[in-house]
Amino acid sequence: MDISLLYNLAHSFLKVGMFGFGGGFAMVPLMQNVVHQNAWLTPVQFAAAIALGQVTPGPVAISATFIGYKVAGFSGAVVATIAVFIPSLVAMYLLDKFYLKIRTSHITQAIMHGILPVVIAIILHVAISMGQPLMHSWWQILTVIAVASLAISRRIGYGVLIAGSVVLGMLMVL
Amino acid sequence: MQNKNEKILETGQTDNTPGWLDVARVYLKIGTIGFGGGFAVMDLIHSELVEKHPWLTEQRYQNMVALAEMAPGALTVNLLSGIAYRLGGVKTMILATTALILPSFVLITLLAGAFLAWQNHPMVKGALEGLTAGVVGLLLAVVWSMIKKAPRHWCCFVVGLLAFVLGIVMPINPVWLVLMGGMAGALKVVVETLRNRHINTPSEDNGTK
Repeated sequence: MDISLLYNLAHSFLKVGMFGFGGGFAMVPLMQNVVHQNAWLTPVQFAAAIALGQVTPGPVAISATFIGYKVAGFSGAVVATIAVFIPSLVAMYLLDKFYLKIRTSHITQAIMHGILPVVIAIILHVAISMGQPLMHSWWQILTVIAVASLAISRRIGYGVLIAGSVVLGMLMVL
Repeated sequence: MQNKNEKILETGQTDNTPGWLDVARVYLKIGTIGFGGGFAVMDLIHSELVEKHPWLTEQRYQNMVALAEMAPGALTVNLLSGIAYRLGGVKTMILATTALILPSFVLITLLAGAFLAWQNHPMVKGALEGLTAGVVGLLLAVVWSMIKKAPRHWCCFVVGLLAFVLGIVMPINPVWLVLMGGMAGALKVVVETLRNRHINTPSEDNGTK
């Protein structure tokens, strides 16, 4: 077992968990950065990691498990999963302790208001970098548009939409 | 009775404080059937923890949602770990959150194994092409819903645009962008406070004369 690899996984995913403000999807750009820097996954494998996080129950952050598994097998999956969720637990513990002070402070709210637009921007970066290679294929462009509009209308769950695009992709091969 | 009501008011918790095993069992259920994330799961959490079990008052639940939004990470995990901590301290928090994540962990590990074994099969390659398109579509939908929820303020618009352009023109670690956004938010408060003080000062001068 490669200890330095596990250490690197733990370190990377602690960072992802710590700075993933604004919901589970805010972690996607941070994960992409980590994966890209270490050359852990190909872009297609990374897309699969995010998608599997969607079709399984539980939060998007579980994609960290997939990445950990790919990099260092089962122990990698365990390390990445623990690392990505630890900051959430610590943060909730601290927030519960200092609840009143934090709620009355304008500063915390203002900081969140500054972070939110950045999170939107970096998720858009991921969408663009992931979407660029698809632009030569008409059915993939149509799938992007269809999934985006169906997800916005909230009539169909995210997991179902991902499953649908997988099936469509398989049909296109036949 | 009087005493009990007082306690509810003080702590936001009812008298039926559950053991860690009870909490973990409910969390295991949420972790198993809580597909899709986001709003659907929030409804499930509310019905399990506020309606089905008398563990939390509505007020305490809403407060916890507000706290969970401030913490980094998945909203559902933040919310549930915070509630578990309230219900039984650090031990319940760790065990119940583990129970929550366990089903997805097992499932995704199995799927990852299968995926890595068959990823070069032509059928899987086709599936991946569809799946990538689906993920891009989802990300766009998430961006759209976040823009709709974002505060309507020119500062937010400028910060978002700046982060977007910065990330496009140079390779920059998104962590830095997040930190810069937080600092911009803090700076805005400082500037506003200073400006308010500046506006208030002349009227004070008039008063002393």
